[in-house]
Amino acid sequence: MRAPLIGKYAVRTLGRNVRRTFLSVVGIGVGVAIAVFMTAFMKGSTQMRVRAIAQSGFGHVMVAHSDWDVSRDNDLRLADWRAELKAVRAFDGVKVATPHARTTALLAFGTRVAGVEMLGVDPKSEVASSRLPLAVTEGRYLESGDSDVAVVGSTIVDRLDVELDDDLLVTVVDADGEMEYAMLRIVGIIDTGSKDMDGSICHVMLQDVERLTKLPGAGEISVTLDEPLKMDSIVPRLKEVVSPSDDVLTWMQVVPAQGGDYQSDKGFMNMLSGTVIIVVILGIAGAQLTAILERRREFAVLIALGMRSSQVVRLILFEAVALAVLGAALGLLLAWWPVHYTSTAGFNFSSVLGEELSMSGVLLEPIIYSVPGPWVFGHAFIIALVSTLIAAVYPAIYALRTDPTSALSLREA
Amino acid sequence: MDGPMTGMSTLRIAWRNLGRNRKRSSLALVAIALGQFVFLGIAALMHGYLGDFHESITGPMVGHAQVHAPGWRDDRSMDLTIDGVSAVIEEIRGDPSVTNVAARIYAPVLTALTEEGFMSFVVGVDPAAESHESGLLPSFDVSTIGDGRVVVGYNFAEKYGIETGAELALVGQDIDGSIASGLFTVEGIVASPVDIVNSLGVVMSLDDATEMLAMNDQAHEIVIHTADIETINETVARLRGLPALNGLEVLPWREIVPTMIVMIEMVDVFLYIVLMIVFIAAAAGIANTMLMSTFERKHEFGMLLSLGCGPGSLARMVTVEAVILGLLGVALGTAFGLGLVAVTSHTGMDYSALGGAGQDTYEASFRGLNLSSLVYPKLFVSDVLAGVVAVFLTSLLSVLWPVVKIVRMEPMEAMRL
Amino acid sequence: MRTTRCRTALRPGVLPLVAPVVLVVLLLAPAIGRENTAHCTDVATVSNTVASGAEDAVDAETVSDPGAPDADDLLGRYDDLYDSSGTVATVEIVITTPKKTRTMEMRFWAKGEEKALMVVDAPARDAGTATLKVDKNLWNYLPKISRTIRVPPSMMMGAWMGSDLTNDDIVRDSSYRDDYEAEYVVWSDEPEGWKVRMKANEEAVGLWNAVEMVFAEDDGLPLMAQFYDRKDRLSRTMTFDEVEMVGDRRIPMHIVIVPEREEGRSTEFRYIEVEFDVNVPDDTFSLSRLERMN
Repeated sequence: MRAPLIGKYAVRTLGRNVRRTFLSVVGIGVGVAIAVFMTAFMKGSTQMRVRAIAQSGFGHVMVAHSDWDVSRDNDLRLADWRAELKAVRAFDGVKVATPHARTTALLAFGTRVAGVEMLGVDPKSEVASSRLPLAVTEGRYLESGDSDVAVVGSTIVDRLDVELDDDLLVTVVDADGEMEYAMLRIVGIIDTGSKDMDGSICHVMLQDVERLTKLPGAGEISVTLDEPLKMDSIVPRLKEVVSPSDDVLTWMQVVPAQGGDYQSDKGFMNMLSGTVIIVVILGIAGAQLTAILERRREFAVLIALGMRSSQVVRLILFEAVALAVLGAALGLLLAWWPVHYTSTAGFNFSSVLGEELSMSGVLLEPIIYSVPGPWVFGHAFIIALVSTLIAAVYPAIYALRTDPTSALSLREA
Repeated sequence: MDGPMTGMSTLRIAWRNLGRNRKRSSLALVAIALGQFVFLGIAALMHGYLGDFHESITGPMVGHAQVHAPGWRDDRSMDLTIDGVSAVIEEIRGDPSVTNVAARIYAPVLTALTEEGFMSFVVGVDPAAESHESGLLPSFDVSTIGDGRVVVGYNFAEKYGIETGAELALVGQDIDGSIASGLFTVEGIVASPVDIVNSLGVVMSLDDATEMLAMNDQAHEIVIHTADIETINETVARLRGLPALNGLEVLPWREIVPTMIVMIEMVDVFLYIVLMIVFIAAAAGIANTMLMSTFERKHEFGMLLSLGCGPGSLARMVTVEAVILGLLGVALGTAFGLGLVAVTSHTGMDYSALGGAGQDTYEASFRGLNLSSLVYPKLFVSDVLAGVVAVFLTSLLSVLWPVVKIVRMEPMEAMRL
Repeated sequence: MRTTRCRTALRPGVLPLVAPVVLVVLLLAPAIGRENTAHCTDVATVSNTVASGAEDAVDAETVSDPGAPDADDLLGRYDDLYDSSGTVATVEIVITTPKKTRTMEMRFWAKGEEKALMVVDAPARDAGTATLKVDKNLWNYLPKISRTIRVPPSMMMGAWMGSDLTNDDIVRDSSYRDDYEAEYVVWSDEPEGWKVRMKANEEAVGLWNAVEMVFAEDDGLPLMAQFYDRKDRLSRTMTFDEVEMVGDRRIPMHIVIVPEREEGRSTEFRYIEVEFDVNVPDDTFSLSRLERMN
């Protein structure tokens, strides 16, 4: 037989054994669907960690003075921060860019004092970038137009024995080494549940830090991306729009300990995904192999009738590919809804974890969003194909080596 | 009508059937065994990972539980100390589930290399107690600090140009309020998993810190690690009852970093979901294989039926075959699974190779700190039982459909090729 | 009505006594020799009449007693009390906490507002530790390690815990002249004397909402000062006693500061010896001198 005839024969075989074909295609489909969903879901889980870090105030990437990475000096300021902020905000792929200015400060009331690292923010973009403002339990967060006010952590409030609307005396050492003083009214109190965290939170307006330190502008710009997975390709391009004395750092460089954990996570999740994929492949291959084994006699007959072994092999391969394509298509169809749902609405853990965690969960959205992409097509097809081809190997070899007469014997039922 | 098949021989016939078609049987067997093996393997890895995750998320700074003098956490006052700390540590060590106990001293100081002073803080540690994996200085050479030798955080060293061999002058306030000062030699520069140690920390031995700060068998914090973080609440309750800890504050990690609770519980749930998915994938594979193999024997069944074997007996035979395969497969899978766990539970499994691109980035930024990408698998009896039951049932159920069909089969039709 | 605007209660001269012994860096006491000029700008007189155009006179106490001395006068004299172009003194400081009591003895020299040197004599543990302030720079000398260390400005305002003094007191380069307004002067029974109440202005940047000082009837010397925080709660009380003649002036040699809401805490200062308006040579305030001061 010639090529096109092989195809026709394969199709007819598949058509005639409805149940077998059905089982094959469904088996492949289900396996592929599971693998695709799993991979997308796994990607979502590692992204959750990135999201948590970004939303706790770090952003995905950060624009800072080039010396900052080494010195971590909070007196460093960006070159032309307004222009940079504008350029970054206009950059394609940037969701939110929010400026920060930090300074060490001493807060005092009556006879009590508390040292903090004051963070100057732009309230509007800060709220869009970080979940910390959501942790305000009394009063409100900063708003545009505010001046000489502060939002402080609950531990600081306890330490100073103050409450909402009290005026704190703040002391800052400015750029010239002089002491600067100002009064800040407490307009909001943040309680994250963590004593340490609440003891270090003091948010004020960017302009107030500027005024007190006499250092102009922002020291860093925290950037949240639309697609965090594209981070590595965005960073070099972003560097081009900021001034040469400034640098763009990824969150992993900003908090390297977290970065290490993230890589660790990813590795483990990849291993889990990989396991599922292997299980799926082997499962499909096993089923296919079982099916094909039964057809040994069929192949033997074909050979006895004159078909060359190579043609039998091509027949087997053709069937394998056909099943793979059909199976992958079915798999994608089956996976479509679960993946779509989990990528938009996400899988929300709070239903499983219960309500009492909503307080400490304020800084972290307990939701995993699956991360599908164009890769699903390739993924599905490759898994399906690999599985069916693995199953095709044994019978193909058998067909190549088989002796028609022994194959036709009834010894093996 | 029963024909040649009777009770006990059903078993023998089923067994012989399986033996006669070794390739088909082994395929099915492998599918089942693989399912059980993977299920157990993943469950074991899951438990190991969760423990590891727990450690990394709470961080070496936190440990599993901490002990402080009441009120210290509020303002970190130097004079709020745990007194008689060595006795306290001894008693804590006596608790069966405690694996590591480390005392720490914290004090803000002014550090100077030349004449310029800069703000930093002293961390007095017991190097032997902190060099374990979840310690402040993992895989650290314990002989490095002590007797006037210190190590500094790498950010700190870079910022101020401190090199190994440099002499540092430290000035602060001792526990009485007097001036505390000392000269120390930098023995090394360290990367700690704790950021603040890297940027501000001067790490010295507990003894050196005690001497400089005029303390006497005192510490600010005791960090405790236990064998099983899941039972930490019980452990804390027991520790609170110890006489030496009377009047001290003992807290489980949950109360120290409550913001982490969500993350950990999420990962816990997530891993169970993953396990479920793994199981489903395995089950699908088993079912697929069993179904396929059973349906492929159509003409064999047709022949048996036409030879007088009753449909009921045939169904029974097929079922018994599935039972045998199921039991053998599960046994095989369990054996391999337990084997894998036994082999890797001590040395751990290294998954760093799967870390993906950017591996160098985090290694480099960690200045050579060997971050563990090892996971120590752990298996519970409940996992094994769950696997056995679930996988076995799957193999059994997957022959249900064929069996039903068999009972209703037309022998002549079945015999067609 | 004439209201006097004067600088606030804590005068530089008192500062030497105030050596917060928290971090050695903070032993920067004396210096802070600030501009002592009593800038009292006359705005209006505190009158006896009830119908004052002043702020809300809700309770009867908001008017001065008849025959009360002029607030301006009292505060002006207080301003000048510790005024000195150059001071040499030996002081004793006692810090009491619920846990223990610490006594320190030190010698200090001050010239104008920009230069000060202080050396600890007791306890023996700390003896020889010295602090030098010249303009905005601060150095510490530690005899135990024979090193001089310059204190970064950021640390000068940190860690004042443990001391009953506020950062405001010590380091604040105050121009309080615009920040307070004397409200009234009334007789006080406990202690006996004239009490001047000063209120901080709306725009004032500082810790206190109001300060009340009681002056002795006979010599106008301060007896007590009470500081009210921004919520108008009594925050701390300073008492002055042990008046002695030093040179041509009479001054209280002993000052005690007691915070209101901290149990069992107090800080005491006592001049053992003091000389005002001494011509202290400039070379006193040098690093080498610092190192030799033992």
